Formats: sequence, C-alpha cells, structure tokens
Amino acid sequence: MNAIRGESLSKSFQHYQVLKGVSIEVARGECYALFGPNGAGKTTLLRIFATLHRPSAGSFEIMGMDGRRERTKVRALIYMIGHGSYLYDDLSVKENIQFAIGVRGWNPTDGEIKKALDQVGIGRFARLRSRYLSAGMKKRLSIAKALLIRPKVLFLDEGYASLDERGVEMMNECIRAFTKAGACVLMTTHDRGPTAEVADRVGVLNRSVLREMTVKEMVAADALF
Amino acid sequence: MHFFSVVRWIAWKDLLSEYRNRENISSMFFFALNVILIFSFSFSLDPDTLKEIMPGIIWVAFGFTAIIGLGKSFLIEVNNDCMEYFQCLPVPKGAIYLGKFLGNLLFMLTVEVVLFPLFVLFFNLEILDQFLPLLLISTVATIGLSALGTLFSALTVQIRAREVMFPILLLPLSVPIFIGAVEATRGALSGDPFSMYRHWIELLGVFDVIFVVVSFWIFEFILDY
Repeated sequence: MNAIRGESLSKSFQHYQVLKGVSIEVARGECYALFGPNGAGKTTLLRIFATLHRPSAGSFEIMGMDGRRERTKVRALIYMIGHGSYLYDDLSVKENIQFAIGVRGWNPTDGEIKKALDQVGIGRFARLRSRYLSAGMKKRLSIAKALLIRPKVLFLDEGYASLDERGVEMMNECIRAFTKAGACVLMTTHDRGPTAEVADRVGVLNRSVLREMTVKEMVAADALF
Repeated sequence: MHFFSVVRWIAWKDLLSEYRNRENISSMFFFALNVILIFSFSFSLDPDTLKEIMPGIIWVAFGFTAIIGLGKSFLIEVNNDCMEYFQCLPVPKGAIYLGKFLGNLLFMLTVEVVLFPLFVLFFNLEILDQFLPLLLISTVATIGLSALGTLFSALTVQIRAREVMFPILLLPLSVPIFIGAVEATRGALSGDPFSMYRHWIELLGVFDVIFVVVSFWIFEFILDY
C-alpha cells in the first residue's frame, strides 16, 4: 500500500491555478524529494497532503485513508515541518516540546525529551526560552518534535533551510531513521547535494507537470527545470 | 479524556506565557485603573446616587478591559504559525476553543479580582456583605464575555483590520451580558435580597451556555476552513 497517493490534484488561489491535475504516489519507507521552481506548487501540494489546504479538485489518500473525509485520522499519522516553527516565544524549549506532544495526547518523560533534544544537538538549551533560538535551532527543535511524535508520514517543506552543515547531516540521519522504521518522507527542496544522500525518488514539479527521475539522473542533470 | 487533556494543555500554555510576558494582563489592568481614576475624580456624589451609577462604572471598566485583553488572545497563535499546528492536530477543534476560553476566563477574573479592591478604595464602597454575590455576578458575566471574545478573537486574528472588527463583532452580542451584569450588580450593591436580582444571574447563565455551546460548535469551521 502507498503511504501517499494523490490523484489529479488541482488547487487555485483566486484566479491563479497553482496545481492542475497533479498525480503522485509515495510508498511506505520511501523518501521522495520534490524539486521545482518558486511558485511551482510544491508547498501547496505538501499542504494539501498535510490537510492544511483543501484541493479544488482531485483526491488523495494517506496510508489508505481518504484525506478529504477522514481528516482527523489522517492528522494522527502525519507531521509537517514547514516554514513556521510552531513555537511559543515565552515557553522554554522543553516546555514547547511538552506542549506540542501533550496536545497530541502523549506526555513524554523528561528522559525521552532529553534524548530527542540531544539527538538534534540542542540538549543544552532545554531551559532556554524559544524566543532566543536561531532559525537553525528552531528547525532542529521541530525535528526533535518529529522524533518524539514518530509520524507515519513526514512532510518537510524545504527541510534543509536554515540548517548548518552538521544540521543538514543530522536532518539526513533523521530521514534515514524515519524511512528505516517504515515511515514515508515527502520533502520539497532546492538542495540537490544533501537530497541525493537520502532520497529514493525524485520529482520535478513545473507548471503542474510532475517529471519523475532517479537520484542519479537528478545529480547528473545540469539543470532540473 | 484526551479532549480534556488538550483543554488543559492549551490553558496551561496561555497562562504560562502570560505569566512570563505580562503583556496582556498589564495593559488590561492599567486601562481599567485609568477608567477608575477618571470616574472617581469626575464624580463626587452622595452614597445613594453612587450606588445607582456604580454598576455602570464597574462594567464599563470590565467591558473595555475585556476588549483589550480578549482581542489579543489569538495573536500568540499567529506568531510562528501556531494556528497551523492547531489545524493539523488530530483533536476536535472545540477542545482548542475551550482551552483558549479557559485561559481567557482566568485572565479576566484575575484582573477583576485585582480591580474590585480599587473600586472599594476610590469610591468608598461597602461591599463586604455583598462580596459573594458580586463574585458570582462577575464570574457569570465574565464567562459570557470570554466565550464571545475568544470566538471573535479567533475569527478576526488573521484579518488586517482586526482591531476595528473585534469590538464591532463583540459589543453588539455582549449587550445582554452587560444588561444582566449591570442589573444584578445594582441589586447587590443596593443590598437587596439575593432573590430580588437572582433572575438576572440566571439570565446571564443562560447566555453563557448559549455562547459557549455555539462558539464551541462554530470554532471547528473557523479553524478547519
């Protein structure tokens, strides 16, 4: 069974049609990287799968569940690391994690939180208020949340943005850990180098045409679009 | 069970954030303090006349304080795209509403508890005998104000003219609350027996139930558009 299946998805904002009849399938345990020029609709596609946008037309399934009708069930299986950090400035790093996981119905122990924060390299900042975190540290904190939530489907919207070299390596380690555990990762990115290390398949979205290619082809290509 | 855990987590987050930054509560308090000072220096009335106009002064202060405080209650969710995180949560959105409502209610009651002694001090009120009825009136009226304020704060937080739209939406619907609160407060301050103004408190209770239930139901559509 596919983890993600989108069929003939379209989305318009006012008169501008961002997506027109895009179909995509991503298997369980697979990392799929989505490239494309700015405004191609990569983020919009991710947000449709993350149930943040309703498609204007078409259908999609997450882990076999209808993304339009079974939204709450779908939401229990997914996690999105987007452009927003989803953090509260006046809560500490640890409190932000406690809150983000707590509202999903699970209270991680201090040890589990510490382990996740250490894994992403921000363990020593656990008591720091999140307003003082840099963009890269906020991204690492989002990854720590994902590690604790353990979603079946992880969406990364420009996952490498704001991360330093070590952060990019750490992100890739996490992606490998997710896919090894059978989760599916769908990411939008512009960074071919680090993506080549983890992606199983690559798609280039341009003017609502999704052109699939192998990782080797992606690395060898002079320009993707 | 998980439903109430979400309510608790959201109220906890709001209270902790407010405790740390004190942005909302201090602006509410100082606004109300100004109202009290202006009215206390404007009128030098005999005790009977004062008891007649006092309910109006009290609820002008509380009402406009509510507009200041409640109008900003969802701003914290817009920073860092936290609304998006709420949208993605696999929980009934009503639980998020109730959490925000509970947080707002506690803010409002805290401000009111601090303000009551100031009314006593500046207007020479003798309310010791009527303390419990006044507390009840204040709580019941504040529940209704918080219920509406939380809903309209969520509704207007994403629009540019939110500071204009919020009172435009809140004030007309709050009229029954203000009428009930002023009438019940007048009864309490005049030393009337409780049975004489009990029907106003019951009316407030009915509006509370209506406002909380309707807002709870509408919130699902506001957040999950």
